[in-house]
Amino acid sequence: MIKVANLSKLIGDVQALDNLSFSAENGQITGLLGPNGAGKTTCLRMLFGLLKPDNGNAEIDGIDVAVDPTAAKQQLGLFPDPFGLYERLTPREYIRYFAEISGLSVEQAKRATADVIHDLQLEDIADRRCKGFSQGQRMKTALAQAIVHKPSNIVLDEPTRGLDVMSTRVLRGLLRDLKDQGHCVLFSSHVMQEVSALCDRVIVMAAGKVVAVGSPQELCDQTGQGSLEEAFITLIGSDEGIAA
Amino acid sequence: MNSRFVSLVRKELLDAVRDKRSVMAGLYYAVFTPLIMCGLFMVLITQMSSPDDLKITIVNSEGAPDLIRHLNNNGISHSDDASQRKKISLIISDDYATQMLAAKPAEVALQADSSNEKLADSIRRVSRSIERYSSEMAALRLIIRGINPSVVQPIKLNKQDQATRDSKGGMILGIAIFTMIYSVFISGMNLAIDTSAGERERNSLALLLSHPISVRQLVLSKITAVSIFAMLGLLLILLVSKVAYMLVPWQELGFSVGISSTFIIAMLIIGLPVAVMASALQLFVSFMAKTFKEAQSYLTIVLFVPLALSMAASYNIAPDQLRWAPVSGQQQALMELIKGKEIPLLQLLVSCGFTLLISIALALGIERMLKSEKVVFGL
Repeated sequence: MIKVANLSKLIGDVQALDNLSFSAENGQITGLLGPNGAGKTTCLRMLFGLLKPDNGNAEIDGIDVAVDPTAAKQQLGLFPDPFGLYERLTPREYIRYFAEISGLSVEQAKRATADVIHDLQLEDIADRRCKGFSQGQRMKTALAQAIVHKPSNIVLDEPTRGLDVMSTRVLRGLLRDLKDQGHCVLFSSHVMQEVSALCDRVIVMAAGKVVAVGSPQELCDQTGQGSLEEAFITLIGSDEGIAA
Repeated sequence: MNSRFVSLVRKELLDAVRDKRSVMAGLYYAVFTPLIMCGLFMVLITQMSSPDDLKITIVNSEGAPDLIRHLNNNGISHSDDASQRKKISLIISDDYATQMLAAKPAEVALQADSSNEKLADSIRRVSRSIERYSSEMAALRLIIRGINPSVVQPIKLNKQDQATRDSKGGMILGIAIFTMIYSVFISGMNLAIDTSAGERERNSLALLLSHPISVRQLVLSKITAVSIFAMLGLLLILLVSKVAYMLVPWQELGFSVGISSTFIIAMLIIGLPVAVMASALQLFVSFMAKTFKEAQSYLTIVLFVPLALSMAASYNIAPDQLRWAPVSGQQQALMELIKGKEIPLLQLLVSCGFTLLISIALALGIERMLKSEKVVFGL
């Protein structure tokens, strides 16, 4: 479970986050939806303690990130944007490395890596170096890295960016599996379709603030619009920076 | 905590070993520098050691057969081949024999361009040889007249000039040892860039920091990995030097630069703090850069510093202060060791202490940088 309360952050002259509060529950897929520049990535970085909030705090499974960042990060898996692969390592080495630095022992890391490679059907590329991988293969490797240590919370930053239809479908399937296993899945997106297809709960952000929270259906009802897209435009007051 | 550190270092090394650029940089330097040095030393030694036969023009040589024999014995002779002989002419006067017989000064003319520096040594050699002959003749004449020749030599100046040999030898030693110390800077350089600026360029830095490791662990593991590479480079250059320096004819210099096992061990121990400092310095500078290329251009400038320190140590520029400094302190100690003298322990310890202090300061600097939002995300 991820909970943020009253997060504020000033970057340069821009109020990137403005008193932002929300929570993402276990066994749910929560979407952080907002136009470009709404503060989604800034907010996710704060969950990992990479940015320090001017105000407010973030809690992972009840652990305050500012107080015990290591313990908090132990409960988090990050699917970053961009992926940050090491081109000279194979997925097996790459995944195992991150498993080990996430706190697994060498033996545990080996086993967890083998498991996640099996679960994500990475066997055919597991022992090839990442250099020259397709975007879909990269996505799977990055996701394997995020979930190998079985964190209770998985954070994805713009996960479908640059993926083709097939890879996107694969990713959606994988996220649903994680949800069914009881994980808390939080992802940021500015793609409407993505959010309406996947999310149990949507947190609509604009200019560093939460504008609305609810299931896609609730948001439609709340705004009296027929589609999430229309609801969204009504909520943030413009259609700037949103992809349908 | 410990196993994470091991994982971090192992990954850095695995990644580095697969990076041809990183491996080759160290390898090329370690293999080729000693060979180039050897070639250089051989040329230097041939120039410095006993000169070849000196061919000059001698006019009217039949007028003074004894003098010519004396010159020939000293390697100075006449040649008709203009391409071989130096532009020095020795002209023996027509009345040489009669003057000699009458015990009067016999005239010999030495013609050469004294402004030509290349000829200076040869001119000095010819005239010294003739002077020696002249004083031998004088001594003989005195003996014939019943006078001890030493009465006309009130002072016997005994010149024992070893200045040139010693300073040139010192320079050679300085260069040889410097190339070895410098290898810790060169061998780890590409890895240092790849693991810092490269990590930023690949966008993997933020991902790495999102994991439950402390920044300090990360910094220490990177310094360790780069230091291991640097030390491997140092070991390699020592082994190559050991073989290569056996080929140089050191005996002609009057001392020898032998790379003994003791020297290799001493060099590895003394080189370790330098390697750590080199790694920390290179990582510190590279982390300031956002791309591999940017870091490379910064480092080229930074690598001039150890070069300058070492040069100053070899050429005796401000040696008193530099005895305590990193790189130059270690270099001076190693020079003493290879000359077979005692190692100045206090000086070595102080300079190693400084080296480690600088390393720690740089490591703290990197840690600070990696905690800064500006550096990690370029905000």
